[in-house]
Amino acid sequence: MNGTTAALYTFFVETLPYITILVFLVGMFLRVTRWSSAPKDHQNPKMDLVDSIKYVILDVMLFRKTFRRDKLTWLLVFAFHGSIGGILFGHMRGFHLWSASIFDPFGHWMTEFMIHTLPIYVGYTLIITTFLLLVRRFRLEDKQLSSLSNDYIALILLLIAAIVGQGMRLFPPESVPTEIYNVVFIPRLIVLHLEVVPSYHWFHWHVLMTQLFVMYTPFSKYIHILTGVITPAIYGSRRKELGI
Amino acid sequence: MASNIQEKAKKALGEFTKRQLMELDTCSHCALCTDMCPAYNESKNVLHAPGVRTSKLVKLYDKKHGFWTKLFGEKEITEKEIEELAESTYHCSLCGRCMESCPFGFQTHELWIKAREIVDSLEASPENVIRLAGLMDENMNPYGLEPDTRLDWSFFTDLDDAPELDEAEIAYFVGCTTAYKGANHDVAFAICSLLENQGENWTLLGEDEWCCGAPSVMSGKTEEAKKYAEHNVELFESKKIKRVITGCAGCYRMLKFEYPVMLGRKPNFEVMHAVQYLHEQLTTGRLEVEQGKEKIIYHDPCELGRLGGIIKEPREVLAKITSELIEFDEHGVDSKCCGGGGLLQSVNNDMRLNIVKEKLDEAVEKGAEMLVSACPACKLAFVDGVREFKHDIEIYDIHELIAKRLGVSD
Repeated sequence: MNGTTAALYTFFVETLPYITILVFLVGMFLRVTRWSSAPKDHQNPKMDLVDSIKYVILDVMLFRKTFRRDKLTWLLVFAFHGSIGGILFGHMRGFHLWSASIFDPFGHWMTEFMIHTLPIYVGYTLIITTFLLLVRRFRLEDKQLSSLSNDYIALILLLIAAIVGQGMRLFPPESVPTEIYNVVFIPRLIVLHLEVVPSYHWFHWHVLMTQLFVMYTPFSKYIHILTGVITPAIYGSRRKELGI
Repeated sequence: MASNIQEKAKKALGEFTKRQLMELDTCSHCALCTDMCPAYNESKNVLHAPGVRTSKLVKLYDKKHGFWTKLFGEKEITEKEIEELAESTYHCSLCGRCMESCPFGFQTHELWIKAREIVDSLEASPENVIRLAGLMDENMNPYGLEPDTRLDWSFFTDLDDAPELDEAEIAYFVGCTTAYKGANHDVAFAICSLLENQGENWTLLGEDEWCCGAPSVMSGKTEEAKKYAEHNVELFESKKIKRVITGCAGCYRMLKFEYPVMLGRKPNFEVMHAVQYLHEQLTTGRLEVEQGKEKIIYHDPCELGRLGGIIKEPREVLAKITSELIEFDEHGVDSKCCGGGGLLQSVNNDMRLNIVKEKLDEAVEKGAEMLVSACPACKLAFVDGVREFKHDIEIYDIHELIAKRLGVSD
């Protein structure tokens, strides 16, 4: 690692995460304050846990309503969100939240496929679907929708993060360490354990973009990652109340 | 623009509730609701798309209450923005169909009512909507007719002695569109005849009946609707009514769901749509009808089905009177609106008629002999549509059809 790379590494990996967490927390505080300062709802239904969970699974995770009406759009949004879910799950292995050994019962081939081959295809899926969603938005703009600037920023940010993330897989790594290499974002709290040291060029960009993603979440449409389970839960309870 | 309008806009925008604000922030402007919207599908005007309405509302909200207003101050809402919001908000039949395509299940019906409250506070409501508010104030109904003519419909029917009792078990809340619109007089007569036939202890409210207040809510004047709620509930309770029956889907939603919220308490009576009453009578064997073979198609009124939860009862009632009940391709919670709601008639009647034409086309294409619904506003829209486009189909309200089959009305 030369001097510039070391300085960038220090900034992106050791300094920026604190700023990211701070911005995220301040943003969430502002967002929650915005909601909590609004008047109370008098028309909320009595929450029904079973129906709330049912509608979150059917409508948000499986996009049932979209499936029933437009199979092609369903395929696009399901593949997009599914690939994000897959990638997040894959990253959790790097943070030691699960281990590759869970695939051992299915044989070595399956383990190899799940941790080395499939992620490449999932990465391509995310890039392609994010791009197609951007194209869709452009095409429908001023015809069927009226986007806010953050609708575009959110997609573009995600697209760049996905491209540079894929770049890490496709371009030659810096090295394969003899033992697990630890990227310490925040000591003892956020530590990424790597089997290979990726190209620093791609790695720095990826780390930057993902942290921008986290920072941008409370201020943007990404907030639906968090609120997207609340509104369908209320909808589910409302339907239960109506007896539908 | 006048600073008092800016202040009013700020206040009105600040009245989005916690859930509504969360819904506006969650909306990804994905346009998955657009194809579902009857108004947009008719006009193809981007302003009429539901998702565009949320974009506009978020922009306005952020101008007055956004994160950056704390640092850089508020921004002025322009006249163009107000005009666009009014155009968007009133080209909507408040059918709630967008809710059924939204992956997040936003309660859009309530959001659009709030949007109308904002438009009202900005003094930007369409001329006819303003006129309607004036008529409501003067006559307690949206048609501008004298309250003492509310029972005039009974003169045109065979109902000789419309009961107006001091106390009764059941009150029949006729509703303005049934009482004042000729096409619906037979509906009122049919419901009265059915109650009479079943030997119920029932009463009408006569000229003391006020509008349920739905037109005020739909005009963005929710606060004013409270006086209608207070009056009607007081009247029912003074007559010791145990069960209020109405044949109007809009009145049903107001009485059942909105009144308790407006009054902050649950009234001392049960609210029932007349089709539920019919269903109860038919399923408990208190009423029997002969089954025929007419090809009948049922249209779910939005406020009764999607927004009121009454979907299976009308079908079970109709199944008793015909073996040939057919469905629209999209029915139940997915039912397409007939265009008869949301004051669309007063804002853009051509749009309303073109929306109803689609439903009539489908019904005729499916070979239906009769199109049946359970709402006077729907019946009116279908009757107007048949008159305008000359479809060969009979239009009935479900209560009319049952009363006719029983021989208790013509």
